[in-house]
Amino acid sequence: MTNAPATAPEHPPALDRVPSGIHGLDLILRGGFLRGGVYIIQGVPGAGKTILANQMCFTHVASGGRAAYVTLLAESHTRMLQHLRPMSLFDESAIPERLYYVSGFKTLEDEGLKGLVDLLRREIRGQKASLMVLDGLVAAEETAGSDREFKKFVHEVQTHAAMHDCTVLLLTSGKPGPVRAEHTMVDGLIDLDDQVFEVRTERALQVRKFRGSGSLRGRHPFRITTDGLVVYPRIEAVFGTPSAQDRPTHDRMASGIDGLDGLIGGGIVRASTMALLGSTGIGKTTFGLHFLARSSEAEPGLMFGFYETPERLRLKAAALGLDFEGLERSGALEIVWQAQGENVLDELAHRLRDAVRRRGVRRLFVDGLGGFVESAVHPERMSRFFSVLSNELRALDVTAIYTMETREIIAPTLQVPINGISSLVENMAVLRFVEARARTRRLLSIIKTRDSDFDPALQEFEITGRGLRIVGPFARYENLLSGQAHAPDAPSPDASAPGAGPSEPPPGRGDA
Amino acid sequence: MKTILLVEDEFGIATALTLILEDEGYRVFSAANGRKALDRMGEIAPDLVVTDFMMPVLDGAALGQALRADPAWKDIPIVMMSAVPEESVAKRFDGYTAFLRKPFTLPGFLGLVTRILGD
Repeated sequence: MTNAPATAPEHPPALDRVPSGIHGLDLILRGGFLRGGVYIIQGVPGAGKTILANQMCFTHVASGGRAAYVTLLAESHTRMLQHLRPMSLFDESAIPERLYYVSGFKTLEDEGLKGLVDLLRREIRGQKASLMVLDGLVAAEETAGSDREFKKFVHEVQTHAAMHDCTVLLLTSGKPGPVRAEHTMVDGLIDLDDQVFEVRTERALQVRKFRGSGSLRGRHPFRITTDGLVVYPRIEAVFGTPSAQDRPTHDRMASGIDGLDGLIGGGIVRASTMALLGSTGIGKTTFGLHFLARSSEAEPGLMFGFYETPERLRLKAAALGLDFEGLERSGALEIVWQAQGENVLDELAHRLRDAVRRRGVRRLFVDGLGGFVESAVHPERMSRFFSVLSNELRALDVTAIYTMETREIIAPTLQVPINGISSLVENMAVLRFVEARARTRRLLSIIKTRDSDFDPALQEFEITGRGLRIVGPFARYENLLSGQAHAPDAPSPDASAPGAGPSEPPPGRGDA
Repeated sequence: MKTILLVEDEFGIATALTLILEDEGYRVFSAANGRKALDRMGEIAPDLVVTDFMMPVLDGAALGQALRADPAWKDIPIVMMSAVPEESVAKRFDGYTAFLRKPFTLPGFLGLVTRILGD
């Protein structure tokens, strides 16, 4: 018989967190800053340091904490409060009882770093602050006679922060660069920057150091809004491992396209993705509208589009006999439209995922991937970005169709804007215009489907007032994929062969 | 020449107001917080105290209370300045002579000082 231990093994207590209250940042920091830690927030002027720090202060006092904001050579408190006042985070009633603004510059001038440390210590105690911001650390650094003296100052601040269980943010200007002496001492270092990409700019945040906890590595874009900073954790970092367990199935979901499901084994495999490639005007959006028209309470649908406004989509759907307004009213369908502008890639992906989760979406139509591509300031991310996003959507049990516009309207080759798209999706179909007997006709080619055979025949499809439907295979033609169909057994270019499938459409068929 | 004690922790504001008041013909002394102001009251013997509200070590409210509790200074005029609304300040101390919400205009500030000092 063995003696069981009298008590369970001891685990060190988890370190308490102080949430920043900044959407996205707390996710990156796995819950927030560590209580009693000292953190440097570094960035060029205008990067958003002051707003970040104030946002955290207002969040902190709103949840019962107390905060002190100490400035050195920074903007005046009056100006700062004027700039913050229009923001939703600003709560004047918190000042001065719970959030207190003081300047330490005169003390620094008169009494040096020793006097400043004393002032900080007094403010922590006097205000009973559980969060303190020192805005303008560079002024303290310039006052220090040496690196050693400055490190000693930071060390003393750390000591007082730890003793009083007060989290401290030290704000300093400067570009991300080599490690400096003070960086080695603090508990964490966050860089904010605002980079120019050709004619546009994008703000980004990077956690370069975070003691005692993991954090999401790399750069994460953010915006400054009237709600303060909104950070969008980079999709590849946050969903590198999907948020839910993947549960693959052989179940099928109706495509909504008349005549298609029989060609692909009974429908699109659930929780899979389909890329729909084709040139402008070929019918990709129409294809997706049919897919979404099957949305229901059990299979909520989401249209995530970049090009046509919700109003135009509803009109387009109605022209095809599809009642989108009714589906929206019943809650079975939502249309989320992104205005074409300077979108942030990760913001779009989070908006998409949030919309999926909010309603438990099962049918997703993204029109199209080009909207994401155009938003990317780092195009080399795209393949990995889509791979991770698709994996996350699969894990959320979403069956997705993505459109992707090809550059050529009628051509022997297809140019797609994302490398390796075939490896990122389980299902792929190409919609093409084909010239046959001096007519433009529409062709659907299934390239691959997940876990099932498919009919490899090139199919003709049509779009009429009743919608999009598969007509049947192009039986008599060759070289269809070149865009220039050829009927080798035809006696003359103008002759038609009776009973040869949909080789000759009636007048008007196949018109765009 | 009337003497003003300016109590302000923000260096830029303290410097600017000192110069402006000196241009108007006042003798001006400044202190970076309420504690330093109290320490120099006897030496300076001001005719007016112009003080910020939020300051380190000893704030404007505590300074005002200390002055009103001191028989030597209980009647000295006090101008309280703050970026926060007057009601937030008055909850802590309402014994000031006048309140100035920051940001303020120079004519408004100088007019107030002139009215109080009777020049």
